[in-house]
Amino acid sequence: MAGVNEYIVLSCILFGLGTIGFLTRRNALILFMSVELMLNSINLMLVSFSATRADMGGQVMVLFIFAVAAAEVAVGLAILICLFKHVRSVDINKFNVLKW
Amino acid sequence: MDLYFIVFAIMAVGAGLFTITAKDALPSALGLLTVFIALSALYLHLHAPLIAIFQVSIYAGAILVLVVFVIMLLITPDEELETSQKNMSYRILGAFLGAYLIALLAIGTKGVKDLIHQQTLPDGFGHPGMIGSLFFKEYLLHFEVASVLLLVALVAAIYLAKKNI
Repeated sequence: MAGVNEYIVLSCILFGLGTIGFLTRRNALILFMSVELMLNSINLMLVSFSATRADMGGQVMVLFIFAVAAAEVAVGLAILICLFKHVRSVDINKFNVLKW
Repeated sequence: MDLYFIVFAIMAVGAGLFTITAKDALPSALGLLTVFIALSALYLHLHAPLIAIFQVSIYAGAILVLVVFVIMLLITPDEELETSQKNMSYRILGAFLGAYLIALLAIGTKGVKDLIHQQTLPDGFGHPGMIGSLFFKEYLLHFEVASVLLLVALVAAIYLAKKNI
């Protein structure tokens, strides 16, 4: 069985990929998916710690993160649709009304 | 390290790379789906069958379908989106920050292995019944707060979907 270290490194790589995607892409939908990638990497780390420490609290925490991710996606995509109605684009550089 | 972990870790990282580099949003969503499936297989390996099932049914089945639905809704045929930020400094800064974060986390967690000792798993570890009893004994308040959060998100999404916002 792979030790907890390998899972930590995999989780870090996925989190970093999510960060890179969030900071460099322009399509707002892909930004959403990058955030999902980051949340999933944290889930993986929680589950691997849970299996290492023989503590089921980590798995319960993952289920709460599922709930938060579902809420985030529902509200975020609704906001995105509202923005799309005004701007007719999903390019984040065009959402600049509040930009200073 | 065993073969099972290596196969699914490579699958997850490759699909994650594809997710953030794909030109259009829809192939990107398919890459994310592959990441979810690979992570679900890793959860099975980590004695978390319930999480693995929820990963497929909630993430791949509900959240990603919602994202794909919105992708279909928001496609504008005349708009040709640039793949990444036009400003070169944004790209470099973003890639640098991400690589820095990966390196920092990988170095910072290097000693964790020595701090955490592998405990022997009790009988029935990760069984859905045990998670359910944890939910309703130790984490009841958190459970209720999460359900209120979902209700608030539901109301907010319906309000935002009204015509005149």
